[in-house]
Amino acid sequence: MNVTKRVATILVLLWVAGCEGERSDSGPGEPAGFAGLGEEAGDFAQAHAGIELRFPEDHGAHPDYRIEWWYLTANLEDEQGEPLGVQWTLFRQAVTPPEARPEPTPWAADQLWMAHMAVSRGETHRVAERFARSHSADERNDRGGQAGVQAQPFQAWIDDWQLASRVEAPEADTFERLTLTSHHADEQGGFGYDLRLAADGPLVRHGENGFSQKSADGQGSMYYSQPFWHIEGSVTLDGETRAVSGRGWLDREWSSQLLGPEQRGWDWFSLHLADGHKLMAFQLRGGGEDGGDYRSGSWITPRGDATALAPDELRMTPLDTREATGREVPIRWRLEVPRVDLDLIVEAPHAERWMDTSVPYWEGEVIAFDPASGEALGEGYLEMTGY
Amino acid sequence: MSYEKCCRTQAVVVHGLATLLSHYRRHPGQLAMLLLGLWVASALWSGVQAINASARDSYARAEALFTTGLDRLERRDGQALTLNDYLRLRRAGLPVSPLLEGHLEAPDGTRLTVIGIDPFTLPGDSPFATAGSTGELTDFLTPPWQTRLAPDTLTALGVMDRRARGAGPRLADGRRLPPLVLAPSLPPDTLVMDIAAAAVLLDSGERLSRMVAAPDSLAEAPEGLVLTRAATLVSPGQLTESFHLNLTAMALLALVVGLFIVQAALGLALEQRLAMLRTLRALGVSGRSLVGLLTLELLLLGLVGALAGIVSGVWLARLLLPDVAATLGSLYGAGVTAELNLPWHYWVGGVAVTLGGLFLAGAGVLWRAARLSVLGLGQSQAWRAGFRRQLRFMRLAGALVALAGLALWAWLARQPPGEGLLAGFGLMAALLLASALWLSPLLAALLAGLEKLAHRRPLTQWALADLQLQLPRLSLAMMALLIALSANLGVSSMVGGFRLTFLDWLDQRLVADLYLRPPAERFEEIDAWLAERAEVAERLPTRRTEATLLEVEREGLTRELALPTSLYGITPGKALMPSWPLLATLAGREAAWQAFREGEAFINEQLAISEGLAPGDRLILGAPQGREGVTVAAVYPDYGNTRGEVLLATPQLTSRFGAPPGSIGIVLTAGTDDAALGQALTRRFGLGGDSLVDQREVKRIATGIFERTFTITRALSALTLGVAALALLASLLAQARERRRRLAPLWALGVPRAQLIGVQLGQLGGAAFVTGALAIPLGIVLALGLVEVINVAAFGWRLPLFLFPEEILLTLATAVAVALLATALPAITLWRTPPRALLAEEANS
Repeated sequence: MNVTKRVATILVLLWVAGCEGERSDSGPGEPAGFAGLGEEAGDFAQAHAGIELRFPEDHGAHPDYRIEWWYLTANLEDEQGEPLGVQWTLFRQAVTPPEARPEPTPWAADQLWMAHMAVSRGETHRVAERFARSHSADERNDRGGQAGVQAQPFQAWIDDWQLASRVEAPEADTFERLTLTSHHADEQGGFGYDLRLAADGPLVRHGENGFSQKSADGQGSMYYSQPFWHIEGSVTLDGETRAVSGRGWLDREWSSQLLGPEQRGWDWFSLHLADGHKLMAFQLRGGGEDGGDYRSGSWITPRGDATALAPDELRMTPLDTREATGREVPIRWRLEVPRVDLDLIVEAPHAERWMDTSVPYWEGEVIAFDPASGEALGEGYLEMTGY
Repeated sequence: MSYEKCCRTQAVVVHGLATLLSHYRRHPGQLAMLLLGLWVASALWSGVQAINASARDSYARAEALFTTGLDRLERRDGQALTLNDYLRLRRAGLPVSPLLEGHLEAPDGTRLTVIGIDPFTLPGDSPFATAGSTGELTDFLTPPWQTRLAPDTLTALGVMDRRARGAGPRLADGRRLPPLVLAPSLPPDTLVMDIAAAAVLLDSGERLSRMVAAPDSLAEAPEGLVLTRAATLVSPGQLTESFHLNLTAMALLALVVGLFIVQAALGLALEQRLAMLRTLRALGVSGRSLVGLLTLELLLLGLVGALAGIVSGVWLARLLLPDVAATLGSLYGAGVTAELNLPWHYWVGGVAVTLGGLFLAGAGVLWRAARLSVLGLGQSQAWRAGFRRQLRFMRLAGALVALAGLALWAWLARQPPGEGLLAGFGLMAALLLASALWLSPLLAALLAGLEKLAHRRPLTQWALADLQLQLPRLSLAMMALLIALSANLGVSSMVGGFRLTFLDWLDQRLVADLYLRPPAERFEEIDAWLAERAEVAERLPTRRTEATLLEVEREGLTRELALPTSLYGITPGKALMPSWPLLATLAGREAAWQAFREGEAFINEQLAISEGLAPGDRLILGAPQGREGVTVAAVYPDYGNTRGEVLLATPQLTSRFGAPPGSIGIVLTAGTDDAALGQALTRRFGLGGDSLVDQREVKRIATGIFERTFTITRALSALTLGVAALALLASLLAQARERRRRLAPLWALGVPRAQLIGVQLGQLGGAAFVTGALAIPLGIVLALGLVEVINVAAFGWRLPLFLFPEEILLTLATAVAVALLATALPAITLWRTPPRALLAEEANS
């Protein structure tokens, strides 16, 4: 994985140093927040409460904001009932504020793209990463560029990896049924997937009608999800292809300063509960009141009605850590939402889910069960950054 | 160790060393000779090593660059790839990366290579990882972008080292480069920048030079493209290895010659200090301390000599490097910086080699000092007996070295031709050393014989006897002279012979009057236009491509290979066929050309030698449509090429190997003005100046390359001869005073001074003449070795041996002139010495 290693050095620095804005009160040369996401927004557009989400436009890219992602995780199982995890993420990063964009000469770029894909099963965890550039004024962006996202009909792609609508009628909601195709060749025989996604419920706006506050001083992002994907298709791992089915969760988020400068990372949960409810919960370590952690989340009914959870309505307690690729990460948590009478133990059955990508993080499947009875209550994904 | 004992040891060291060194105060000539020997030996050696080290540094940097080591994709029809081609392949999932390469002119005229990259898709360790400059990717990717370059490229841009960072220097055409960022690992004269910045500077629009991919990441070439595997691209380091080995051998020769002087000087200094050493021993200095003191003395002298040598060596290298760089650039296409880049181990190595050589040369002296008898009589009789022993030893050692040489030769004779470059140099070294070792016994025997003949002529007899007495001191200088003379003769015969062959061959190969390299996309159009012109007698289109030689079949036996080979297509036209040189054919030239037109191949001498091929053998080559078989119809000489090459008729190369359009040789009808056609071509098609070259220009360039190739060889060989002359001069000067003492009795007996000087000139002139005469056969054998073994192994071509009588005479004359010059200076002193002084010296002796 020479290539990954190499680009890692570049991209960490890029993600970290890609800003013109003044560094805040983190030390000189120190990136603010995890992966530079705490850099001040400067001349970029700002996410704030009151921005109305509009679809299908907001499925597409927002090049005036610094950072954006299309983030899909899925808990699947094969025909033998063996669980599999799948992740596919496309990140967009603007390297210049809108008014400082270079002339759109050939190859000139103001947008950089990074994509991660992962397949995991048991102890096995395979990861691949891709990079690309584009210019927001290039007419190839609608389809022909190396990477990009278009809103209608929906398509997000980098090279031959793509998440695209399979709805034929252009006037219909093309975001409802998608196809995800990604394959990566490696020495173990390659891995990848061909999945068909169908939405069983509505889009969910987090926070204040889509504005998700990320720290006590008001930093935040525009954030909505589609947590109701029913998925079918096939997954290839180390050259072996299996028919799979299961559930998926897609996050859409964009902002210009996601974190407060003192926030060092986050722990983020997306859970499909057995009774049909969904829970999104995260804590940003640092940046809360009095320097504590900042927590937030959404309680989603089976019909898709979301209730925003205030910082004091969520309790997240790490119970146990495990080593994953040389880092100590908490893989067993207690999650409590007293307001809806929820008390869960959330645990990653396999700790080896470290994403050794240019921006490294932990991302893997979790199961939820009752602390008292041990009864299985759901499944989902956990993302932990900054460890 | 007690304090007293410590003090005593210190006193012994300080006083002993002072006593030993005081000798040099009385004999500054000997010190000068010693240091001179060390200095020149070390200077030539470290000079060449500096050149080699700099060149290796450049190769290493070139090899570390992403353009090497990656598989390459180009369009089969020779046209430029575009941004859309790249996007199409990426969207199909192929891991390719775009690369833009072009040239810009620096204000001082230097041709700079601009490489535009896309760091996101570039495989492997990109320059970011190695260049040490990180954290600036956004700056690299966005205006005003960045220019990454090695510090030794700054001079061409007229930027000072200190002010380099962030500077935006101008090019020859006045445009500015993106701000500079230093990346020492980049090759010289290479600018690396983001592909967007390069596209603006090179005005290339959406065109690409090529695409690259990680080695073997693509199973096959995508439709319409040619995939060249990185493994088939030869690195400059591999190509130039033999060139550097040649240089090293020359430097080693200079080192050995220099060390001869050192040994002569050390021997002399010991002889003259024998009495002093005995006194020191008698005063209670132990034998071990004495050896320690002498070693300390050697170390001091060695350090002084080595440092002076390295400083001069670096200066010498700086002087020669531009020539070497130009040679390597034109001969091998290897970019070598014209500025020295010396790693730390160069300096340490230089001092180590000089000191090592010094201790090797001084080992005999230390050995003798260790065995010094306190009561021994340091007289010349005992000394003569010592010399007899030495002669016996030299005969024996010479015989052993000669035997080793014979063994090497026997081994080489059984190797396939083209192998054993190192063994070849070993053979040459053995030959030189054996001859040098036998020189003194031979001279001694010769003198003894002559003495018998001259028993009726007392003065002659005296002169011969006296020369015998001088021989021990002269022998080392004479050995050095012999080695230098024969090496000089060998090298100049080889170079001269090569020159004749090369110029002849150039005339045979360059039959067209004009050579045109049209842009690939207009090739057909221009070719058609030329076909219509009345003044064009014949068009000789050529093409080039690369292929892998998969199998060779010889005498019914098939051998599998995976040899990257270049394919060259020529047009067997009326003008070309009669003159194109062929070395070997199956059934004559006619039949060979007939077979060639029908699709068979010629191969160059390099390929024939390296793979042991001959006409009639069969080759299987990897082609885009699978395997292509051709029969070798002839072997042709291909001087200046370093690689194996297969020659095919151009139409064959096009249809079977998909070679892109290359150049067109234009043969004009008699009496046509080539300049007029050139102008017409330029007017009609707007071709740039460098796409059309006339034959005279090609010849001039080729001859220029040739001359440069051997400039450094000749320079080193001449310098070595100079060192040998100095050796002789120095050893004569060192014993001038003693010589006077020997001559004084003769003068007292009534021999006139003029005659005395005549005798001296005769003695040395004679000895030098004999040495020179011996150098001639030795030089011829060396030339033969260079032509038959070294050249074949190093370059893959064999030349006929040419001998140049004027060179031989020059060698002989040089030997005598050097000896006479070396005698003349002491002779003049003798002439000026008042008779009274001579008498006083006689009385003293």
